[in-house]
Amino acid sequence: MQSAPAGRIRWYGAGWMLYILPALLVYIVFMVFPVVNSMRLSFYTGSGYQLTNYVGFDNFVKLFNGSEASIRFLNAFKNTWIFFAIHMLVQNSLGLLFALLLSGRVFRGRGIFRTIIFIPATLSPLVTGYVWQLILNPNWGALNKLLTGIGLGSLALPWLGNTNTALPVVSLVSSWQWVGLPTMMFLAGLDRISAELFEAAEIDGATHWQLVARIKLPLILPIVGIVSILTFVGNFNAFDGIYALEGADGQPLYSTDVMGTFFYRTGIAGQHPAGIPDMGLGAAVATLTFIVLIAGILVARRLTQARDESLSGGRIVRP
Amino acid sequence: MSLAKRAKIVALVLFAAVALASFVSAQAKVQLTMGSWRTDDVANWNTILAAFNQKYPAITIKFDPTNPPDYNATLRQQFEAGIAPDLAFARTYDTGISMFKSGYFADVSDLPGLKNQYDSNARAPWADETGKSFAVPLAAVSHGVYYNVDMFKKYNIAIPTTWEEFLAVCKKLKDAGVTPLANSLKDQWDINEVFLMSIAPNFIGGPEGRKAYENGTRRFNDSQMVALFQAMKDVAQYCPKGFEALTYNDSSSIFATQQAAMYFDGSWSITNYKDVPFTWSVFAPPPPRGMKPYVTFHIDAGLAMNAKTKFPKEARTFLQWVYSDAAADTIANGLPTGFFPMAKNASKINEVHANAFLQLNAGRGTDVRLTWPKLMTAPSGDITGYNLFGQATISVMTGKMTPKEAADSVQTGLAVYYPPQMK
Repeated sequence: MQSAPAGRIRWYGAGWMLYILPALLVYIVFMVFPVVNSMRLSFYTGSGYQLTNYVGFDNFVKLFNGSEASIRFLNAFKNTWIFFAIHMLVQNSLGLLFALLLSGRVFRGRGIFRTIIFIPATLSPLVTGYVWQLILNPNWGALNKLLTGIGLGSLALPWLGNTNTALPVVSLVSSWQWVGLPTMMFLAGLDRISAELFEAAEIDGATHWQLVARIKLPLILPIVGIVSILTFVGNFNAFDGIYALEGADGQPLYSTDVMGTFFYRTGIAGQHPAGIPDMGLGAAVATLTFIVLIAGILVARRLTQARDESLSGGRIVRP
Repeated sequence: MSLAKRAKIVALVLFAAVALASFVSAQAKVQLTMGSWRTDDVANWNTILAAFNQKYPAITIKFDPTNPPDYNATLRQQFEAGIAPDLAFARTYDTGISMFKSGYFADVSDLPGLKNQYDSNARAPWADETGKSFAVPLAAVSHGVYYNVDMFKKYNIAIPTTWEEFLAVCKKLKDAGVTPLANSLKDQWDINEVFLMSIAPNFIGGPEGRKAYENGTRRFNDSQMVALFQAMKDVAQYCPKGFEALTYNDSSSIFATQQAAMYFDGSWSITNYKDVPFTWSVFAPPPPRGMKPYVTFHIDAGLAMNAKTKFPKEARTFLQWVYSDAAADTIANGLPTGFFPMAKNASKINEVHANAFLQLNAGRGTDVRLTWPKLMTAPSGDITGYNLFGQATISVMTGKMTPKEAADSVQTGLAVYYPPQMK
């Protein structure tokens, strides 16, 4: 990037401020204020929409002191980490694999495959959730019919109703839906790598695997960092996909309860069927989620920045 | 006086008379509005209200329902703003009582004949602790076991009269390769409300038993509660394969497509099976041997009157008409299928399956769903009795808890916040 002549900088300094003012205003009104206000509400309690009783840290204490709420909260926290781990392991690994396959020059019709992999990400989680419910239905679902058909009837489990399988299955469905996003990001990174590098490596007699391990993977490592952050943020805010498959209770027996569903039950919906929410406690859950997200992003930034710096030296490859 | 002049006077007098007459009738005509959460039942209510209008031409009533989940909040706002309907559907127990205590619902205890037409059990859901009524009981739903009559005939099965016989019937069907029960767990509410709470009065001794748990004289992990959870454990093996992940709608389909012989469900589902190609009927969930039989006849809607209505006389006229002998047939057959009038003079219901449901009450006691009167709400962060029962039921049916552990979990959960069980 070229810098402007020194004389003009001061003049522009005031100018660009004007341009971002509208966006800043919208951001403050619709993002910063609600977040800060929600943090404020986490110190209050009361019924309905007017929270007037200041209770200090009581809401937070309630989430850690061994009460029912704290058992549910810690369970949801644990489940969210498992949810995230499965996404990292399955969604992002598959995304990388697909990107590597699609970026190969030998591949014909890669546009079609790109589209196919990305299509689920364009659908509403409520729609895909419903479709997967049908596929996984133990009575007439396609999956168990298929398993029984190939002689694996003993594996035809009630996937969404078993406390051991529900969370992995829900995570896999979500991974299936969003695998297109990391694929596209990795693919963009791979496409940016200069063709000269591959030519040079091929002339040196590098095998296909060596190209992957020595050139492609190291050069898209910064993107791994970004993808991880996005997955982390997405998973700790996840709600709709799980709600579509397992309801707001994180069925069965809270085995798929994550931060999103726990927050929804606590702060918005209340317990079925009386449905009396506790907005103060809900705000406390939201605040803790926010803190976890900030902490996670800071750690991830630290790691990837370190990598960026170490890579910037290696990026300039001179023949 | 000239003819013309006389004609003019006659015309004037006539005009005045007509004007006066129309003014008087306009004075007497009153329109009331009725709030409700039954958006699905507009046609039913218009029929009932038209019948009322025929009897009382001076009073028309407009049925004005609100989306069910918003009803409670909307009604309260309407009352706060002074634009509430003259008549309103009233929720039961705490929700309704709070409206009464806020002064929104009128005290209707003095309606002539109210106490004769409804017994104290029927009035209780719409009465405060001093026994003052704030609504006329309107409709109830019943719980029972739907069964495939053709299959029962084919396997030569008689309707079980005890829980032990019921389990024997299940076993016999299963041995014959038929799935005995269509019920499932995935939606949670149905196994809790229409299975566990359907059989519960039989195991704990009806309303008297329920009240003993509610006031703390009995513990939720006593032998009768354990027996109730044992019953839930026993039926798990007779539910469809994969019942842990099947939904309420799946279960309905399984029964409707004859993949199962029996189905615990409520009277509100009658119309779902209108066109099935087999004969079906209902029987009452049978009690364990030696116990008195009960049916879960669950109160649903009451009819309250705005305490500040401009037309209290007309509103009371309508409330009285609802349980009058003259209206008994209109109400009984005008309510949506599977919703039953609660008055003693209620007339015979023509719809055959609805009538079969209602006949279950003959010779049996009735009670509301176990957790409705006292155990639906909890302080924030604690789990309501309703949900404790739901979790315990699913845990026991999936083998995660023994019946004793399930009952213990309910007791422990209630002991956290429910004062009568804290001691």
